Amino acid sequence: MKDSTKVIGYASPWSVAPGEDVQFHLSSEVLKSASARIVRIRCADADPRGPGIKVYHQPSPLDGEIPLASYPIHTGSFGEIPDAKLLTGLQDFSIGAWIWPTILTGGDQVVFARKDAATGKGWRLFINSDGCLSFAVSDEAGSSTITASQPVLIREWLFVHASFSATEGTITLSAESLERDGGRAQHVSLSARSTVSPVLNTATPLTFAAELTGKSAPYSRTGHHFNGKIDRPRLYGQALNGAEMRSIVDAVAPDLSDPSLIGAWDFSRDISSDLISDRSKNGLHGSVRRTPMRAATGANWTGTRTNWTAAPEEYGAIHFHDDDIDDAAWPEAQSWKVPDGIRSGFYTLELTADHDGVKTESHIPFFVRPPRGEKTADILVIAPTATYISYANNHSRIDQIHFEVMADGLIVLSQDDVYAHKHRELGASFYDTHKDYSGVCYSSARRPILNQRPGGYTFNYVNDTHLLDWLEEEGFAYDVITDEDLDRGGADLLKPYRVVLTMTHPEYTSKNMLDGLQTYQASGGRHMYLGGNGFYWRIAFHPTISGLIEMRRGITGLRSWEAEAGEECLSFTGEPSGLWRSSGRAPQRLTGVGFSAQVFDRGASYRRLPDSYLPRAAFVMNGLAEDEVIGNFGLRAGGAAALEIDRADRDLGTAPQAMILATADNTGAGGIPAPEELPVLYRGFSGEESNISRADIVLTPTADGGAVFSVGSIAWCCALSHKGYDNNVARITKNVLSRFLDPAPI
Amino acid sequence: MLRTSQDTAHFEIDPTRLDLAREFRHAPKGPHSPELRRVIHRMRWSGAGGRWCVVTVEPGVRWMLARLPDERFGEIRTYPETTFTSLNDAEWHVFRIRWEALTGNALPVEMD
Repeated sequence: MKDSTKVIGYASPWSVAPGEDVQFHLSSEVLKSASARIVRIRCADADPRGPGIKVYHQPSPLDGEIPLASYPIHTGSFGEIPDAKLLTGLQDFSIGAWIWPTILTGGDQVVFARKDAATGKGWRLFINSDGCLSFAVSDEAGSSTITASQPVLIREWLFVHASFSATEGTITLSAESLERDGGRAQHVSLSARSTVSPVLNTATPLTFAAELTGKSAPYSRTGHHFNGKIDRPRLYGQALNGAEMRSIVDAVAPDLSDPSLIGAWDFSRDISSDLISDRSKNGLHGSVRRTPMRAATGANWTGTRTNWTAAPEEYGAIHFHDDDIDDAAWPEAQSWKVPDGIRSGFYTLELTADHDGVKTESHIPFFVRPPRGEKTADILVIAPTATYISYANNHSRIDQIHFEVMADGLIVLSQDDVYAHKHRELGASFYDTHKDYSGVCYSSARRPILNQRPGGYTFNYVNDTHLLDWLEEEGFAYDVITDEDLDRGGADLLKPYRVVLTMTHPEYTSKNMLDGLQTYQASGGRHMYLGGNGFYWRIAFHPTISGLIEMRRGITGLRSWEAEAGEECLSFTGEPSGLWRSSGRAPQRLTGVGFSAQVFDRGASYRRLPDSYLPRAAFVMNGLAEDEVIGNFGLRAGGAAALEIDRADRDLGTAPQAMILATADNTGAGGIPAPEELPVLYRGFSGEESNISRADIVLTPTADGGAVFSVGSIAWCCALSHKGYDNNVARITKNVLSRFLDPAPI
Repeated sequence: MLRTSQDTAHFEIDPTRLDLAREFRHAPKGPHSPELRRVIHRMRWSGAGGRWCVVTVEPGVRWMLARLPDERFGEIRTYPETTFTSLNDAEWHVFRIRWEALTGNALPVEMD
C-alpha cells in the first residue's frame, strides 16, 4: 500500500498567475525530508479501468530534496479582549451573560475568564467536568470555587452571573434559565467566603469561550474551550447580585451613564468581521479567533425576523466550538514563483519519500491561472474550488449512520480518509457537524485537505480531472481559473473566452459566481455544464480572506445538517444561504437543468428525445444513430448518468427555447429524488416508478448567439475515456465543444 | 438539529429466506427484489454485527476489511489479513456477518 499522509500540507493561495508566488506549508511527523517536484495534473484517477494517473513534471528550483518539520494544528475558537488599564487592580466586580451550552465534554469549558496562567491568579466562570456551572477565583496561595449542584441543560438558554468582592471577601454564583416549563427550570444562587485575591495587576487579556494557557508556539495559547453560544457578556465594577446583573445583561443598549459599567460586549456588531465591540464608553474592543459562528440568535431572538441584518439586536450571540479551525498557520516551508509562459492548469507539489519500507507520495494542490488580463486559449475551465473547500476532509461516511444506505453499497475509504478521521484537528467539511452536532458552516483552504487532490477520494477533484484528460487527449487547449477567481473577478474574467466549461459537480456557488456566469451566457457566451448537482447551495467567500467560505444549510435540500432556526443567513454578507432554488435562482435558470436525484447503485443511460432531431440541435448528435443509446458505460456505477443527476423543469426556470435532447430516466430503485423534489409524501417516487429521478441533456440558446449545453450528471466526464475515448459520450462532448468554439451564432 | 439514528431500522429479517441471501450473493450490486432491498436496508442502517467497510489497498485492485467505530470519533479498525480483490466479495463477506447477527443463524458455507 502506498502511503499519502507521511507529509501533508497546503498551498496558499490556491490560485496563482505567472509571476506570482505560491507558498507551501508542510508538516511531517516522521520525515526529515522528502523529494519534491511540481507536477501538472492531467488525470488524477488511479482506477486501472480508466486512463490512470497522468502527471507532467514542471521543472522548478524546488526539484530535489527539501527539509521537513512537524507542526501542530490547534483548534477551538474564542474571543479575546486585550488588557486595559480598567481591568487592572479590579477589587470588586461582576460578570454576566446568557449562555446556550451545546455539549458536556467531560472537561472544563470556560465561558469567561481573566487569568494569568503563569501565576494562576485570576478568575474564570466555567462549566466543570461534571457539567456544572462553576466560578473560581485564585491567587498564588490557592483558590476558592463555588459550583452548582446540577449540570446545565444543553441547548437551553441560561443566564449566568458571578461576582467577587475583595472588600467583603465573598464570591457569588447565580444562574436562571430562560424557559421554566417541562423540567427546563434551573436556578442557582450561591455565595461563599473567599480569602484569596484574584486581583490582577499584570497584563492579562479577558477571554470568552476559552482561557489562556500561558504557552506559546508550538503549544496552544488557549485551552478549556467552550461549546455553545454566549450572548451579551458584561463586566461590571461592583459586586452585584444576580437580579441586578441580569438587568444589565438584558439591556441591549447599555446605560452609558453608569460609571461602573466596564464592558458591554455586543456580538451583533461587526458580524461580518473578526471584531467584537464593547458598547460601554470604555471601548474595550477585541476580536475572535478561528471563526466561531457569528450571526447566531441570542436569548432574546423572537423569531419574527430571520435575517440578522433585519434585527441585529436579536443576534447578539456567537456560537463557539472547541474544534473550530480556519487556518492551520503553519510556517512557509517552500515557495515557488510561477514562471512566465507556464501552461494554465491543475498543479500540485508532489512529495515522495520512503519510510520504513513504505513509499509515500503526497500531493499539495494549487491552480495556475493564465497571466492576469490575458488568455492563452479559447476554452476556460472553472475549477470548482468552492466545492472542493466545501467537501474538505469530509467525515460524513464515517460519522453519519445513514451513509451506507444512501451510497447503496459498502463504504470504501481511502487511506487519506482514515488519516483525516484520526486527525480531526485538520478540520471538517460542510457535510459534517462539530462535536456538539451543530453544522460546520465555515471552511477554509488554509489547512491540509486530503480528499481534494490526487488520491483515493474520487468525488470532485479526481472526477474533474477526467475532463482535463479528455481535453488534452483531443488536443483542446484550455485555461483554468478557480471559483474564487470568478467570485472576485466576475464576468470580465469569462468574457474573452469562446467557451466556458464547468466541471463534474460545481455544487457550491456564490452570488458573484452565479452573476458572472449568467452575464457571460447572456452576452453571447457558450457554457458547457458537464456535471451534475451544480449551482445548488448558496455560499459566500469571505470579503478579504482568501480561501475562506461560508454556507448555512436551510431546512430543505439534500442536507446533512440543518441550521438552527433564524441562523440561515450568511454572516459574511447577510445574504440568505440554503438552496439557490430558495433564492429564486434554481439551477434550471442558469443551465436548463437542476438537481433531481442521487443514483449510486447503477448508472443509467440516455435515450434520444425528439428535440435531438431538430435542425438547430443536429450538431450535438452528429455521428450517432437515430436510436443510439448514450452512455451505457462509464467508470462510475457503469453509466454516464449516475451519482447525482439533474433534470429540466420549465416551472423551475428551464428556458422556453431550451431543447431537451435526451433523458436518462431508467434510474431504477436506486434513483432517489432530492427532498425538495417531493411536495408531499407519496409512494412510488424512486426511479423504478417515476421519471422525476432523471438526467436530461439540454441545449439552450442564449442571447447574442450564445448557448448553454448541460448533461446533468456527475458521471458524464468519467465515461469520456471509455473504449480508448471512442464512445458516444466523448463524441457528443466533442461535437458541442467544436461547435461552441465556432464563433458563428448558435 | 437533524440527525439520523441506527435505531430507526426495524424490519424483521426472516431467517428462513435463504433465497434472498442467494440473490444477494448472485448480484451484490443489484438490481434487487423488493424483499431483498428491505433486508439490505435493515443491515446497512442498523449496523448490526458491526459497521463494516473497506479501505483501499490498491485502487481498483485490492481492498482490506475495516470497521467503523460504534462511538463517534472512535478508532477505525483495519484487518490487513482480510483483503478482497473485488468489492462484490467484500459485500458478501459483510452480508454474511450481518445475516448471522440479525437472525442468529450463520449462512451455509456452501453459499460461498
